[in-house]
Amino acid sequence: MRVFYFIKDLILNFRGLPLVIQLSLIVILTAIAFTVIALFVMLFYRYRRYRREKKLAKLIPIIDDLIFAYISFENSDKPDPRFAAKSDIVAKLRRYVRGHRQLAVNRLIEYKKDLRGNMSYELNELFMELNLDRFCLRKFRSLRRFRKIQGLTEFATMGIPVADAYILPLTHHRSREVRIMARHAYIKLSKNDPFKFFDSSSDRLLVWDQIELFRIITTNENITIPNFGSWLTYSTNPSIIHFCLKLVVHYNQTEAVPSVTRLLDTRDHDLRAAAINTLGKVKAEQTEDRLVGIYNDQPLRCQIEILKAVGRMQTGRYIDFLTNEFLYAGDFRLRKAAAKSIVNNSRTEPGLIEQLMANTTPENQLIMKHCMDPLIKYV
Amino acid sequence: MRFFIESVAWFYEYFVFFYGLVLFLSYLLLVFLSMIAIRKYLKRNTYTDNDAIIYSPIAPGISVIAPAYNEELTIISNVHSLLTLNYVRFEVIIINDGSTDKTLELLIDEFSLVKVDFAYDEKITTRPVKGFYKSTEPSFSKLLVIDKENGKSKADGSNAGINASSFPYFVCTDVDCILHKDTLVELIRPVMQEPKRRAIAVGAPLRMANSCDFEDGELIRMRPPKSMLPRFQEVEYIRAYMLSKMGWSLINAVPNVSGGLGLFDTEIAIQAGGYNYQSFAEDQDMISRMIRYCCEQRIKYAIRYIPKTLCWTEGPPTLKVFVRQRTRWGQGLLQLIVQHIRVFFNPRYRRLGMIVYPYNFFFEFLAPIIELTGIIYMIILVILDRINWPYALLILAFAYTYAILMSIIAILWDQLTFRNYRTWKEALALCAMPLFEMFFYHPLVLFCAIRGYIFYMIGKRHVWGDMQRRGFGRSTAHVQREHTPQTVRVAQDV
Repeated sequence: MRVFYFIKDLILNFRGLPLVIQLSLIVILTAIAFTVIALFVMLFYRYRRYRREKKLAKLIPIIDDLIFAYISFENSDKPDPRFAAKSDIVAKLRRYVRGHRQLAVNRLIEYKKDLRGNMSYELNELFMELNLDRFCLRKFRSLRRFRKIQGLTEFATMGIPVADAYILPLTHHRSREVRIMARHAYIKLSKNDPFKFFDSSSDRLLVWDQIELFRIITTNENITIPNFGSWLTYSTNPSIIHFCLKLVVHYNQTEAVPSVTRLLDTRDHDLRAAAINTLGKVKAEQTEDRLVGIYNDQPLRCQIEILKAVGRMQTGRYIDFLTNEFLYAGDFRLRKAAAKSIVNNSRTEPGLIEQLMANTTPENQLIMKHCMDPLIKYV
Repeated sequence: MRFFIESVAWFYEYFVFFYGLVLFLSYLLLVFLSMIAIRKYLKRNTYTDNDAIIYSPIAPGISVIAPAYNEELTIISNVHSLLTLNYVRFEVIIINDGSTDKTLELLIDEFSLVKVDFAYDEKITTRPVKGFYKSTEPSFSKLLVIDKENGKSKADGSNAGINASSFPYFVCTDVDCILHKDTLVELIRPVMQEPKRRAIAVGAPLRMANSCDFEDGELIRMRPPKSMLPRFQEVEYIRAYMLSKMGWSLINAVPNVSGGLGLFDTEIAIQAGGYNYQSFAEDQDMISRMIRYCCEQRIKYAIRYIPKTLCWTEGPPTLKVFVRQRTRWGQGLLQLIVQHIRVFFNPRYRRLGMIVYPYNFFFEFLAPIIELTGIIYMIILVILDRINWPYALLILAFAYTYAILMSIIAILWDQLTFRNYRTWKEALALCAMPLFEMFFYHPLVLFCAIRGYIFYMIGKRHVWGDMQRRGFGRSTAHVQREHTPQTVRVAQDV
């Protein structure tokens, strides 16, 4: 009772209280109110999610069953006897999907990831039959950028062509993420020069962007692979050059070697190191003399790449150079790279390793043994 | 004389009040910052596909480094668990830090290890390494075991792992931690998505494993700990990671990436000198040195946190172990401030100098001292009968209700984003903990912090003791180091 009167007194005489106490009272009341609201919100969201999951648990098997019936209707020896025609399945699916179109899109995408060939095309057909393309296309007009991204991702994953007029404006969107996803979608879906962004993009390609693009390019059967060397020559965007170097290696584009070689004159050490790495991986033997020639003027990371490249080319012409670096280089990493390259070239000079082992320091012997050990995967 | 004492008392009272007000406002700011950061993470997550990274041949390689000391009871299953992480290019480096039990023998038997001639470049000085072991079985080719002399700290073992690592990034963890299968993908993603800066470290929340269900090194069900002490810690961890770390991450002012789980840029870590084995807060010390190195070399760095729990660790189960751990953290904080005193308000070190260290000093280091003086002051007032009880209780209620609100908001963020606990009862049970924190847990933490400061000032060395681990549904294991997510200090003060 005393507490009650005390609180009542505080409220009635609020203006007469010291500032510190006034502030404290305001904070106490606000904190209590927000704590109760926070607890309520937490429980409400949990309950809502629980209801949703319960609903989905019922709905997903039905939708999955109908999708499966649709894609296996013409691709299976025993089509589902419940349906006389594919249109029956679509009609039934429409009933379930009404109000749950996002769920239908998600399920189709899940199937799409696992299926190839005819069944994959059937999924696209079903997507269109259910008018989900219109549903996804509407997301492009959303003011929320993540809705736009969602729409782009859905089209790109489903591999459903969209008119360039829808995607191209998004490639100049003010949000970097939207621009990235629009580029991915364009490369995957456009029939008109999918690599045109390499010509004009000034955005830095992030590593994850490169990973995603790499996957799109290397797994898309409908893309005609160009000579990536052309962008190495005239692109002013270092990240695009880095990315093209990775593609040159992946497709072993020996025709790009002259363009890659031109990068040896660049001032950017990272780019030069990447170019040397590429020359080694595509075994551009014609550049070996040049690489060894510039070796002494290079920073450490480029020197390491030159040693590795000479090792990968396996011509055996510069075994003396490698031996010299192995024996006399001051940096541990240089000696290690030289040793690995000597091991790679050992077939061209039998007995060299034994000879080196007999005449070098214990540390160098250990480096050589390390490089020769097949159990050590990463050198 | 009396006038002087009264003036001092008046000044002290107002100082404490406004100090508290600024502290509370900073927490409020963190609430908003963390909300933005979490929303940003969740939205970005909706369109990034882990599979693209997991199987990409151009994804950067990662070395997983886990030092072990006397872990014979848990080592095998935990190494198996590490080897099955989802990623394309990674290696697992286990450092047997001079174990006196059968840790190494068990590893050799289980993984068919043989001694190899490994060219070890000691870029960071460590205790001597006795041998390197690789598996003869191709399925375990990612595993490298380093056997070294005991370095009396986790730092020394980690440094040996960093020296032997082959990849541009390394993940440092404890061998007894249970990691989420997608840990490597989740941690490398912020590095890949960083648009303008070089991400030098990425962290993720740790949670208490004490009452969770695990099967074959994988989390099956997450539950709040049943024992009181770990449960208080669970709330503290949620607060530290969901509010504090996420908030600081948004403005690139993360003070620390926990030693329990963090991804680091190998080159920068080596240039910064790796972990300091003499430090009581080796993880925060290394981050500070990495940032200092970046600032000195004019490298635009970023340290990021993600809100997804990727690691579960066993909290100290007994009061004795808990007190020892927290005392060490107190020592570590003071040591850190002394060691990096030049960073304070030094614009050369940008956010580290202008935000992180001043905040650390005023609101983490000073908070326990001010609190202690406040208690002493109050006792004096009570003895002198100069206390205004109604007002004193009101101010106490102000601190109490605000602290509860902060904890509840942290739990709310956690629940809205990942809904980690299956039942609402579990979530509510956790929400009840902040009600008691001020009376039981917080005084304990305060005591440990002050004890740590005193230990540091009198030069008492920390004794590396065995921490009794109960194992995840297994029998007792011993580990040498104590788990040190220093970051939770921020949350302790709330």
